[in-house]
Amino acid sequence: MKPTRFGPSLYGTNRFGMASSSPLHVAVIGTGIVGASAAHFLAAAGARVTLLDASGPAAGATGASDGAVSVASKRPGPMMDLARHARAFYVRCEQDGLFRGLFHRRSTFLVARTAIEADLVAQHGADLAAAGERVVEVDRAALLDRIPGLGASVCAALEIPDDGHALGYEITERLLATSRASIRRNAPVSEIVMRAGRACGVAVRNEFLPADAVLVAAGIGSAPLLGLGEILIPRKGQMAVTDRASVAGPAIDGHLMAASYLAAKRGIVRDNSHIGLVIDPLMTGQFLIGGSREDHRSDHSTDAATIAAILREALDLYPPLAARRVLRSFAGVRTASRDGLPIVGLHPHYAGVVIATGFEGDGICLGPFMGANAARLLLGERPEADLSALSPQRFARVEAHA
Amino acid sequence: MREAPILVVGAGPAGASAAATIAEAGLPVLLIEQRDQLGGAIHRQPAAGNEEHVWRPARHRRNWAALTARLQASAERIEIRTETIFLGVDSEGRFLFDDRHEACVFARRPRAAIIAVGAIETIRPFPGWELPGVMTAGGAQVLLKETGRPPEGPILLAGGGPLLPALAAQLAKAGNPPVAVLERGRPWNAPAALARLALSWAPMSEAAAYAAALAASRVPYRCGAVVTQAEPDGDGLKVSIRVGETQEPLLVRHLLIHDGIAPNRTGIPLPDPDGAVPILLAGDGREALGADAAILDGRRAAMQVLARLGHAERGAPSDERGLQRARDFQATLARALQAEPIVPPPETLICRCEGRSHADLAALAPDASAREIRLMGRFGLGACQGRFCGPMIAALRGQPLPTASPPRWPLRPVSVAALARLTIDETE
Ligand SMILES: Cc1cc2nc3c(=O)[nH]c(=O)nc-3n(C[C@H](O)[C@H](O)[C@H](O)COP(=O)(O)OP(=O)(O)OC[C@H]3O[C@@H](n4cnc5c(N)ncnc54)[C@H](O)[C@@H]3O)c2cc1C
Ligand SMILES: Cc1cc2nc3c(=O)[nH]c(=O)nc-3n(C[C@H](O)[C@H](O)[C@H](O)COP(=O)(O)OP(=O)(O)OC[C@H]3O[C@@H](n4cnc5c(N)ncnc54)[C@H](O)[C@@H]3O)c2cc1C
Repeated sequence: MKPTRFGPSLYGTNRFGMASSSPLHVAVIGTGIVGASAAHFLAAAGARVTLLDASGPAAGATGASDGAVSVASKRPGPMMDLARHARAFYVRCEQDGLFRGLFHRRSTFLVARTAIEADLVAQHGADLAAAGERVVEVDRAALLDRIPGLGASVCAALEIPDDGHALGYEITERLLATSRASIRRNAPVSEIVMRAGRACGVAVRNEFLPADAVLVAAGIGSAPLLGLGEILIPRKGQMAVTDRASVAGPAIDGHLMAASYLAAKRGIVRDNSHIGLVIDPLMTGQFLIGGSREDHRSDHSTDAATIAAILREALDLYPPLAARRVLRSFAGVRTASRDGLPIVGLHPHYAGVVIATGFEGDGICLGPFMGANAARLLLGERPEADLSALSPQRFARVEAHA
Repeated sequence: MREAPILVVGAGPAGASAAATIAEAGLPVLLIEQRDQLGGAIHRQPAAGNEEHVWRPARHRRNWAALTARLQASAERIEIRTETIFLGVDSEGRFLFDDRHEACVFARRPRAAIIAVGAIETIRPFPGWELPGVMTAGGAQVLLKETGRPPEGPILLAGGGPLLPALAAQLAKAGNPPVAVLERGRPWNAPAALARLALSWAPMSEAAAYAAALAASRVPYRCGAVVTQAEPDGDGLKVSIRVGETQEPLLVRHLLIHDGIAPNRTGIPLPDPDGAVPILLAGDGREALGADAAILDGRRAAMQVLARLGHAERGAPSDERGLQRARDFQATLARALQAEPIVPPPETLICRCEGRSHADLAALAPDASAREIRLMGRFGLGACQGRFCGPMIAALRGQPLPTASPPRWPLRPVSVAALARLTIDETE
């Protein structure tokens, strides 16, 4: 791969220098929620798309995560704003049929169990309100009405009524099923092949696959492909799934997010043994309970001490879980960037390459919207929101000054 | 610091034999069994307060008496934990157990582990197999052994393999002979295989005993007969049976189905005989070779562990010869009873936990990954984690149900409260 000067943007008139008679062919690396979304919207715009995945759809974080489509959990600043766009995108896709039956509105409850946590929740509520989000204060009695059985230690809570939930793998499957993108499983990309400063295809094992443009949406696998080993770190999260507490629909009326989760998200605690507790009632009637945040861990194994610690926290917050059984434990790997923001935009040096990775614990929420915007970038169109804070350029600059 | 024990999971013939062999060599053993009693699939004892013993061939009774005597003789070196379920091994190398008695999960680090969790029953799905009144033959046998009483009303046994006549004989001896035994294979079409089987004295004398019991109760044993459907009919079931080109209905109360057994590997750690903590499989859980072979295989695994730990010679060659004989016997039996697979109709249920059908399975891409089969197909995702539907899916897809790697724990559902009370014993 021969680096070129960071050239003019892709908003060129002659889409990648291709004759306009043959459709643009895009190789999308990674069939997670982001790659699937980009492929869907690229194909819808008439591009020819080949999706390549080292394993198969949803093999990465997308298939080993929770699915909070939540503004409530976001750090103030660009993430909170972009999450509002991304959630609105879910609502739109639900209404126009694409995500019908897969995206469900439900409240997030931010709950505090100590005075310090109550302060944190209040601060976060103020930040959400400032970003334009609806925030409702709920006292303990009202909360007990909504979520009977809640633990004695819960002292304060805020309700964020406009959040939602979607399972990453279901969204991915729907996006793929409703597009003509061709999918290649067991196709690990080893290299983006450059010619005269622009991408001309990708290498899969010993095979060269020509393409007019390349989207790197390979989660943590993006790091070796782009030489971003210093910038992207894996952050393992362990979770547990229970049996069904109800036969139809969520067992409780909202998503419980402990202040400990906000503390991790706002960067107040950074500790591999910290539990950022969420208790998520799934549509199946099961509970998804998580999770750990273990930096520099990219394996998918789980350990009993961590899962037990998660469950103890969960029982303190919501004691009725004692009646449930754990069906399985699993771990997923979040892709975190050094400054905590995703990386979405044109490659600073390689023409014809777009990057969309680094979604950490927010990619189910952000993924469809960001994939759609990556598609726009590849098609030479402007994104639907201001993505400048996410530009890969910011690391190019840091590197230059270092 | 205490001396860490050798872990043996499963107290069937294989586990009992392994535990006794290790204890006799002077090493401590931790023997884990999920049921409230030892014995495994074949020597299952009546539940407490119930004296009825189900009829078993004398050879099996003698073998089990010998094993229990050996366990007794080494009792001070064997810690037995019943009603305790092995949940798997976590990423820290901790072996996890669900103590159902104390309602808590505990973790141990053994010096070595022998996993002898036996086999699972397989069935071939047909529309209606999930209805009340349909049960696996093995499940019915467990009930029979524990209660001493057969189910009431007309019983039909169907499927394939030697358990069918064995259970039919036990039902007959217990007072309710089945109306028929339907074997899908046509052994008379495989005379060479039959001739070879006749040379295996112990299993054939057992088969002869079952045959005599069936003949005495006039239970028809029909070969080449297959159940194609079961439908509810009043209190019972209307079962459609196909023999050659003809279809016939039969009204029964209970339909007991069975199509052989396969090693139970769901969530079980992969064998690692040379690891820092050697892990070996033994008995039907390693290779489904039957009860006699399980005793040999338990000893073989124990000898291998002892040799690894510098305590004894390798296993006796006679064990290997005995295992090979059992392997030959099972292969010949399989040849004698082989039957063409039948593709079940699309609506046939495959995964009972998540309610997924054959059509759902067929809709998956042929090269679907493990994730896609589990998450998007929802196969192997429910309470049994694919233990029961896995072999059916393997047969229908022509390739094994991909398993999570590393194997996932808990391999059985475990109470949230019990797991939250996890105790980790680090004194070993
Ligand atoms: C425990 C946990 C809980 C989470 N909970 C939430 C939540 O509640 N809400 C939320 O919004 N987000 C959540 N997330 C985050 C979310 O799951 C991720 O941000 C999102 O799935 C990222 O999607 P992706 O498409 O970028 O990457 P991935 O889903 O990781 O997809 C990358 C794909 O690329 C493939 N690949 C990698 N390298 C190569 C290569 N060289 N060649 C070909 N293919 C390659 C991989 O096989 C994989 O399929 C959670 C994450 C975890 C781990
Ligand atoms: C349903 C069935 C019926 C059979 N009927 C006959 C018969 O009638 N005649 C005959 O000759 N052979 C029969 N067999 C075969 C015979 O029982 C086996 O060959 C023999 O019992 C194998 O011994 P084993 O020790 O390997 O396994 P098993 O005898 O199956 O013993 C395994 C033990 O492990 C325990 N266990 C399993 N999982 C766990 C866990 N996670 N944690 C703790 N404990 C666990 C089980 O409770 C069981 O006690 C039958 C097999 C099956 C499956």
